[in-house]
Amino acid sequence: MVFNSLTFIAFFAIVLAVHSLPLAWKIRKGNLLVASYIFYSAWNPPFVVLLWISTVVDWYAAQGLVKAQRPVARRAWMLLSVIANLGMLGYFKYGGFLLANFTALLASVGVTYHAPAPDIVLPVGISFYTFATMSYTLDVYLRRALPARNFLDYALFVTFFPHLVAGPIMRPTELVPQFEQPRRANRQQLFFGLALMTIGMFNKVVLADGFLAHAAEVVYDTDKIPGALDAWMGTLAFSGQIFCDFAGYSTIAIGVAMCLGFAMPDNFRFPYAAIGFSDFWRRWHITLSSWLRDYLYIPLGGNRHGRRRTYAALMGTMLLGGLWHGASWTFVVWGGLHGIYLSVERWLRKRFAGFRPNVWALLAFGLITYALVNITWVFFRAKSFSRAWTVLCGMFGGNAKTVPLLTTESLVVVAAIITGLVATHWLMRNRTLESVLARAPAAVLSCTWAIMAFAIIATQGNGNAFIYFQF
Amino acid sequence: MPLSTSSFEPANSDLVVERSASAEARIALRPDLRLTAADRPGIAQPVPERDVPDRRWGAIMLAALIMTLLMLGAWEWHWRAFGVEPSIANTDALWATQRRRIDHGEGSGAIVLIGSSRMLFDLQLPVWQKLSGKRPIQLAMEGTSPMFALEDLADDPNFRNGRLLVGVAPDLFFSGFAFRGGVLKYTRKQSPSQRVGQWLSMHFVEPFLAFDDPDYALPTVLERQDWWPARPGMRAAKPVRKLMVVVDEDRASHIWDKLEKDPAYAALAQSIWAQHFTLLRDMPAQALQKTTDEQIRRASIAVAKLRRRNVQVIFVRTPSAGGYLAFEDELFPRAKTWDVLLAKTGAPGVHFQDHPELERFWLPEWSHLAVRDAVRFTDALYQIIQRDVDPRTRRIAKR
Repeated sequence: MVFNSLTFIAFFAIVLAVHSLPLAWKIRKGNLLVASYIFYSAWNPPFVVLLWISTVVDWYAAQGLVKAQRPVARRAWMLLSVIANLGMLGYFKYGGFLLANFTALLASVGVTYHAPAPDIVLPVGISFYTFATMSYTLDVYLRRALPARNFLDYALFVTFFPHLVAGPIMRPTELVPQFEQPRRANRQQLFFGLALMTIGMFNKVVLADGFLAHAAEVVYDTDKIPGALDAWMGTLAFSGQIFCDFAGYSTIAIGVAMCLGFAMPDNFRFPYAAIGFSDFWRRWHITLSSWLRDYLYIPLGGNRHGRRRTYAALMGTMLLGGLWHGASWTFVVWGGLHGIYLSVERWLRKRFAGFRPNVWALLAFGLITYALVNITWVFFRAKSFSRAWTVLCGMFGGNAKTVPLLTTESLVVVAAIITGLVATHWLMRNRTLESVLARAPAAVLSCTWAIMAFAIIATQGNGNAFIYFQF
Repeated sequence: MPLSTSSFEPANSDLVVERSASAEARIALRPDLRLTAADRPGIAQPVPERDVPDRRWGAIMLAALIMTLLMLGAWEWHWRAFGVEPSIANTDALWATQRRRIDHGEGSGAIVLIGSSRMLFDLQLPVWQKLSGKRPIQLAMEGTSPMFALEDLADDPNFRNGRLLVGVAPDLFFSGFAFRGGVLKYTRKQSPSQRVGQWLSMHFVEPFLAFDDPDYALPTVLERQDWWPARPGMRAAKPVRKLMVVVDEDRASHIWDKLEKDPAYAALAQSIWAQHFTLLRDMPAQALQKTTDEQIRRASIAVAKLRRRNVQVIFVRTPSAGGYLAFEDELFPRAKTWDVLLAKTGAPGVHFQDHPELERFWLPEWSHLAVRDAVRFTDALYQIIQRDVDPRTRRIAKR
């Protein structure tokens, strides 16, 4: 079920009430596990089997890793986990994509092959929980951690509903220890958790779905040719939409976990105030970028084997990171562009190592970073390369016979929200939300909370799924 | 929140790679920041720390709750003053509940209604039930050609030995336009969570809140303000306003009585129809005729399938008036559309212009019957079908 639904409100109220009962910790953990399976089954009950497979395979793989003495045996257990998880991911997420590319490849050499339509339904959140369970086995394989002693704690780590379908991608070392001691939120945590949920819902329901999604749809989901204004505003709208959608989800997830007495890590740190792309990736989807860094970039050699190998590892990581987001070449291009940006930045930093920019230069670099990030969003949002190209040409004034697409109201609303969003990111660049809330007057906090709650209800929403569910 | 002692704690730190990078994690941060996984490369991530700002959150929340309720109260009062009453929302999920009735045992011998808004507002389920003893299943969808439903029912073996009334609003039926054509896909993919959400909403939200209507959603209200200047080169396109009220869980509906009581609102609805006429008039006549022929071809196939399962299909041309009727006669003349449809499908039809008792009604905005007239229309339509449709030949008696 999605967080922004009546079903979730009812579900969460029940879970919170049951979790507050004076029961043994083991029973309360069991309740959370059952609740998490219900949460997942509420989309498509049969897919809960995949969750079980992923859970059980990695549990036994980690046990096997501990018992194995020879490196070959350890490697075999690790590979079992990787193949099982990536196999599931490959079949459900990339099956159709691989088949389409195989067919196209045959056609390019003159072989006509009509593959039957695969008609594979993508299980929601599979990209997230397979990465979470793989990190468990890989941490044990890399001797960064010991396996969990308790299957219940481990299964709850995989399944815990706040992070299950769209992250933050949790590492076992972050969550399993929290299940070892009884936890229940105190009043402060409960109320602050509800405040975080309101902030997340406001981002998702009001900003992303209510005011930004439509402008992006108008520009991207049409055959009409946009001019520079429409192309930029549609793309800026999408940049706001995807941030508010995904950061909103993460904030709700953190709030939900806090209401239950658990801590989850930050997933976003005001990324549109990033100065440069390495900074951007330390602020955007932090749990994914750090996962890719720890389990892909570093094993590929990281920065320890010379310049060429470093650039190759960087590009490989970002290309695969792009593919993780979706089974389409447009996502690969999105990742590739980020790989190029990171490589160029790395080269520039070495070339101009002594350069110390002043505050205005930093601001300019920040805005250039945001503009270049927007170029990548074109490939992320467009459903085809031809549409991406049309929008890109529009952004650079290269389109002829353009037609106005967005209404005055859309233009004004998108401009206002994006200006506010980027300004907020700059103001919050070196702060946490908590540090600001600790100092704001109580009346301001109450009024802001009330306005956000009112806006969420008045916007109504229609239970739109979060964008990242499809990844 | 301190790190916990755990069986699953960082093991052998000697194996941590990229030492220089992990050293960054030890760099002192400004007091307003905290470390994230981005600051700790190549190591097992510790239990996150989440601080709760030291504020009186209970009092802050209580004040926020009171203010939220006050604002919602004012918002509700505003829309009630505008004439809105709480009613059941005509969502895709509500349509899905009715569609499932056919799958769940009610498909044999059922009377099913499909069409667009005229069939939805004009045909009154309680009246039909009173006359026939059987309450129809209402599957008409506003702004949408019924072709998707006709083909879906034609392919559903659960629907047999029944009667299907197909509402024909010429501009929708023959153009194939489907404002809510995604409803069938939604129904097929509806998750258990969405079904529960629909039930909760229908029982605990919709009957109590007037503002819970897509027409009064905050972004929609903002968009419809008059203060936005038209952008040069863009054609003004006002979306259709709220026209209907759903009065029962089985989608029994009628026109919103504001259209009867408020001439300005009825005039606004008419002006929106007029804008819609302009858009369709811009379509090349040849393309329109091609689309019309295609719709009739698809309808013929579907009707033939239904006939094989002993389902009687009756087309109903519901009333229209004023500028709307003139537009329909201009772009979709009866001889090229309705008559061809009946001829090609071989199905009987009831055209409101063929029956004086179906012509004397008030349509406040040219397209839908006033509430009282919808009752009279349903009564009259039922009598006509009972009287004139020959059960042996399935043909309407020649008039």
